Amino acid sequence: MLAISAGGGLVWAVWAIAAFACLASSVAVVSFANPFYSALALIGNLGSLAVMYLLVSAEFVAAAQVLVYAGAVMVMFLFVIAYVGPRREAPWAGGPSWQTLGAVLAAGALLVEIVVAIGLSAGGRLSRSEHVNATFGSPEWIGRLFLTDHLLAFEITSIVLLVAAVGGVILGSHTRRQDSGAAPQDAEPRRERDLEAVR
Amino acid sequence: MTEPWWISLLKAFLIVNLLLGLFAYLTLVERKVMGRMQLRYGPNRAGKFGLLQPIADLVKLVRKEAFAPSGAIDIPYIVAPIISAFTAIAAFSVIPWGPGWTVNGWRIDGEVANVSIGLLLVFALGSLGIYGFIVGGWASESKFSILGTMRTCAQLVSYEVSLALSVLGVVLLGRSLNLPEIVHRQGELLPFVAPQFVGMLVFFIAGIAETSRAPFDLPEAEQELVAGYHTEYSGMRWGLFQMAEYINMITLSGLMVTLFFAGWHGPWNLGPIWFLLKMAAVLFAFIWLRTTLPRLRYDQLMRFGWKVLLPVATINAVVTAALVVAFG
Repeated sequence: MLAISAGGGLVWAVWAIAAFACLASSVAVVSFANPFYSALALIGNLGSLAVMYLLVSAEFVAAAQVLVYAGAVMVMFLFVIAYVGPRREAPWAGGPSWQTLGAVLAAGALLVEIVVAIGLSAGGRLSRSEHVNATFGSPEWIGRLFLTDHLLAFEITSIVLLVAAVGGVILGSHTRRQDSGAAPQDAEPRRERDLEAVR
Repeated sequence: MTEPWWISLLKAFLIVNLLLGLFAYLTLVERKVMGRMQLRYGPNRAGKFGLLQPIADLVKLVRKEAFAPSGAIDIPYIVAPIISAFTAIAAFSVIPWGPGWTVNGWRIDGEVANVSIGLLLVFALGSLGIYGFIVGGWASESKFSILGTMRTCAQLVSYEVSLALSVLGVVLLGRSLNLPEIVHRQGELLPFVAPQFVGMLVFFIAGIAETSRAPFDLPEAEQELVAGYHTEYSGMRWGLFQMAEYINMITLSGLMVTLFFAGWHGPWNLGPIWFLLKMAAVLFAFIWLRTTLPRLRYDQLMRFGWKVLLPVATINAVVTAALVVAFG
């Protein structure tokens, strides 16, 4: 709502900047050699997508995008990369190869497909602005949709997440048992033994 | 009636500067209060009662050489503190500090930006602020920095979950994510600290951990890590990290006052004065805890976060939801 009432020129300017940032950062994600920079570019990409959501009055989706993806998920990516990834590599190392050519062709085909699909289904509606009512994109509205129209997808997603969480716990506890045997009970005597040795 | 754009601009300018002033004098208040609690004077040389100490500190920091380790990676190293400071300052913009006024027919809102999802915005900016710490520690090319980064990362991610869950009860009672609306509803009903006392406690504890304050200051445990992620920073770059930390603390106190203590509401319609007084009380509690409690061990921190705080926050949210459905 904010963006729509703020006047056309500003909306266009913000849209152009966000769209350019979105494209540039997504190119950067796949072309950087150092994964740390790729992850940073992905954060930029998610952030500029959030700005695009803001422009179509989807404030809640924009905030959720930043909070969940740009915030929580990407922190984990960076966490792992900072631990094990290469550090000193330059952000850009690599030229055109057959992979690049294939990627460009596939991306072009996808773009044509999207343009054709949207053009066919939207008809003449793209050229004029749509009236958006006040509840559109509000948390209440999205919550209601989740619990009525999209209930099945919502519940299935929650089960997938639950399975992932259980899997994570199993993997974690399994490796720990293998590594140090009965560590919790053993820790105290071992520390005493170490102290003895020091003395 | 909406606010004219130039009032918004002036207000934003004013609030940013007030916030920076508040940060500067919070450091002085902290040192003074800690000094008194530890039976010493605290800073008392620069100006009367040491009142010029923050300015002396600022001059020192600005004039200091901003060196970087030879192995540091230039651009991320320089940008990191800027990200942290920016997100910290931006998050304060949605905190309402007054009811809003009409002066000479001009509308003045009681917050810099009235956003329909203000609460989410604070959390979103907070989660982006972590990147400053990660990138800064990673780019410093130092073992202490990277270890500090890892600790910061794990701690902030762990406690962010409890922090977000603890405000769910307030959102259910306030029926909005819009902070001014939540304050209004508390003015009509009662401060949410009464029905949401558990939520308030979880929010406060998780908030201390989110701002890396004692007893949760493991990311910069001096004895183990020198200074954590900002070990290799000096001068005003270090100052920006410090600024981010203190402004996060101010924002968190403001958010706590907004969500649980009815914001600017109070007897005699004092508006912003009530907001400031309540915020000062919460900030004092932050400082008090720092002088009182010893630092947790790392495994204690993780166990407490995941096995105590998170279940309590979850049960609080579920029980509140059930009660709201039953009686609301």
